[in-house]
Amino acid sequence: MTQVGGHTERVRQRTHEGFLRYKGFRWAQFATALCVLAIGAYFVTATRLGRPPSGNSWLGYTLGTVSAGLIVWLACLGVRKRWITDHHYSLKAWVSAHVYLGLSLVVLATLHTGFQFGWNIHTLAYVLMMLVIASGAVGIWAYATLPSQLSHNRGETTRKQMLESLEKLDQQIHDVAQPLDRHGAAIGRLSLELTEIGGGFWTRLTNRHGDCANRRALEQLRALPSSASARQAEALTKIEELMQQKAEVLALARRQMQITAMLEAWLFVHIPATFALLAALTAHIISVFAYW
Amino acid sequence: MAQEFKLRLITQRASGGDPIVRERHVAEPQATIGRAPDNDVVLADLSIDPHHARMRFAGPGRVAIESLEGQTFEVGGRRVSRAEVDLASAPVAIFGTYALALEADEDGDAVVTVTQDDHERHLTPSEFSLKAKMFGRRTMAWTFGLTILVLCLLVPLVGAEIFAHMRIHPDQQWSAGPLSKAHGFLETDCKACHTNAFVSVRDAACKACHQASPDAALVARAQDNSRRRGSPFQPVLVVDHGRPDLLLQGTPSPPDLGGRIALGFAKAFNHPTGRCASCHIEHAPPHGSGPAADKPLRVAAQTCQGCHTGLKDRLDHAGHQIDFGDAPSWAKHPAFRVQLVEETAPGRFTAIRTAFRPTLREVSGLNFSHQQHLDPLGGVTRQALGLARYRKPLDCQACHQPVAGGGYRPVDMPKDCGDCHSLAYARVGGEVKVLPHGSESLALAAFERLSGGGGGNAVWGGSDRQRPGTIAPTAGSAPSASAMAAYRAAISRGGVCFGCHELGVPATGQPDVHRVKLNNSYMPKGDFNHAIPAHNEFNAQHAPAAKCEDCHAAKTSTQASDVLMPAKATCEKCHAAQPQVAKELAGGTTCETCHSFHAPGRASRSPLMERPLEALRWSEAAGKPAV
Repeated sequence: MTQVGGHTERVRQRTHEGFLRYKGFRWAQFATALCVLAIGAYFVTATRLGRPPSGNSWLGYTLGTVSAGLIVWLACLGVRKRWITDHHYSLKAWVSAHVYLGLSLVVLATLHTGFQFGWNIHTLAYVLMMLVIASGAVGIWAYATLPSQLSHNRGETTRKQMLESLEKLDQQIHDVAQPLDRHGAAIGRLSLELTEIGGGFWTRLTNRHGDCANRRALEQLRALPSSASARQAEALTKIEELMQQKAEVLALARRQMQITAMLEAWLFVHIPATFALLAALTAHIISVFAYW
Repeated sequence: MAQEFKLRLITQRASGGDPIVRERHVAEPQATIGRAPDNDVVLADLSIDPHHARMRFAGPGRVAIESLEGQTFEVGGRRVSRAEVDLASAPVAIFGTYALALEADEDGDAVVTVTQDDHERHLTPSEFSLKAKMFGRRTMAWTFGLTILVLCLLVPLVGAEIFAHMRIHPDQQWSAGPLSKAHGFLETDCKACHTNAFVSVRDAACKACHQASPDAALVARAQDNSRRRGSPFQPVLVVDHGRPDLLLQGTPSPPDLGGRIALGFAKAFNHPTGRCASCHIEHAPPHGSGPAADKPLRVAAQTCQGCHTGLKDRLDHAGHQIDFGDAPSWAKHPAFRVQLVEETAPGRFTAIRTAFRPTLREVSGLNFSHQQHLDPLGGVTRQALGLARYRKPLDCQACHQPVAGGGYRPVDMPKDCGDCHSLAYARVGGEVKVLPHGSESLALAAFERLSGGGGGNAVWGGSDRQRPGTIAPTAGSAPSASAMAAYRAAISRGGVCFGCHELGVPATGQPDVHRVKLNNSYMPKGDFNHAIPAHNEFNAQHAPAAKCEDCHAAKTSTQASDVLMPAKATCEKCHAAQPQVAKELAGGTTCETCHSFHAPGRASRSPLMERPLEALRWSEAAGKPAV
């Protein structure tokens, strides 16, 4: 049993090394060392400064310079990821360093502030930086957990297949609905023309499609009085079946979209906030030196 | 020949390529249009009724289209339920996604071409991605970035001048924290201190309002500046600790790595140390969420010992030959030096500083014995016991009286000595004449007045320890004597001046008293707080308190020329050289206890500096300082 278990373990061993565990957490170790060093220096020197610690002390300048340099370098990931290379510093190494050095900024920049905050450009830059880091942290969580959910959700069906089956079902509904009277046809059109797979940002993220046209069409269909014509009744039964199938495919596709949205949503904060941060950082540095 | 409809049904292939065209004739002058399969024109569109409309000829070259179940269709851009069209104008009727183009052929028949406008959108897997539905990330990024750059950098940079008169201060967002209450009136006047962009606050900006000066005009100007800027408070006026160049050259390099890094930054960014703003910090955060501090935060950029260790070497090295000693610690504090008054030429006095030793002598031009006045068994004591003002032996405070704010007022000779040493020199009628004190010429004038006019019945006298109003019969000259003779008599043995004043060297053949120059400050480079209880037996609420004699050997001094100052060792009796003992004995005594930074000759108890902010408010009525 033990041998079998051991064998199973070996089989399960990951051959893939993600950016988080890159080179045995090399960058995590480096970032931790940086933070420990900064915290140590802060508590040793802050008591000897003779004034409240601030970005204006020598340690403040040092931490500020390191932090500003890191922010610019971290922002360069956007440029770096567009170069496809397999050089020494692979993209995976960059992302690994990006993640851990980015997290270390929470410590470095907070110490740089000397815990002085106010309604000013300096604190704005800090808040934006924390927003970037927080959204990045959400991104790390998303990348660590969501891809498996995504794969689990879709099973053996690809996204393309989902869309194709929806189109096929629509075509069938369209064809089957031809004999229907004006009212029946309107119900078919409701499902065909107004059903939206995705929707807006929040609809996708929350996966709430309460006013789904296909669902409304199904409800209206079921509420129809029994038809006089046998042909109509047969068509209606067939359409109900098709719409039910469509609802199932829609649910699968929408869950897929929700997971995708969660995987991508953080970037909608991370990237714009990074640009805002770079602007605020520039204003922070220039204003400090203009009025110092 | 009857008119008929010729139908051409054009269907696009799903795979592209040439469309499929099917043609059919309707052998009737009318044709039906609808979704149901029994129509002539079958349109498979759910928005079309099963039997939607009918076309029929309505005359030569004209076709009428009518709705059968009330549903409309579109002709010439308008929705109608009935239309009559002229085939010559090639009309098009739209039913749902289908277009029916009508035209006449050469036989007069109507050719109806049916095409489907298939706008069906095919979804692609990219539909799953969030970016398909959102305001683009790139657009958002540039929008936010540029907005912040404009609002937080360009507008404050360019707009500070433009908006200043509109009471909008876009550069307020650059302020790192609130100003202290003392400087709160400058909150929106950044340029009062930050006079030049990218140049740190220089001392000139501070001194515009805070520079102390012996020149009243300069002081008035500083106060004016402050008031013009809108200060509700009068500025605290201070002087530099020393000459700026000496301060700069005398300040040592920081000993630790941190200090060197800071200095490197400071030099690299043109941020010199040793400025007013190096120690007086503005925009400091209030503690917690509390209100702003009253005054700028004061921090020590250097310690006293830090600069005063090796200071002489550094200044010598920089080419300054200055006579002073280093004070790296209290133990190594140089021996006290006293400043004495010396008459270098008749009537010319200069101050000299010299190391204190008990044998030092200072010629003040007076005769006085502290010992005689303080001897508990002496004649002075006996006389004091009999006087209503004293009723006890004389003590130090009988003559040396403290003033508010520290220190002692100079001895007022006529007042403090006058109880026993009368200045009365004559009686005219019933009136006793008192000699003006402090000026030889005034005294001489008094004698002249008496001898010249109406002094005939004056009774001349002098002071030989006479009470006020009594005149010694032996001490004056005859009533008929000249003023000069009277003066000569007054300064001679037995005369009114004699005893306290010495006879001087006659410079012009005239008799003369020794010029008097009293020294009011023996240790001008340091201060001693006589007011605190431990330093003053008269203020002491509880023992132990230093007695005057512990520091000043007055009880044994028989000469006015004795220098009654203490040596450093005297202080060390309580303020021992060992720091620990000093701490126990004398609280938190530091260099600043005796030498305040801005006025090293004064102890750090400058009343103006320590005065609460509200006490510095201008007095409204006078518009002048409320001091």
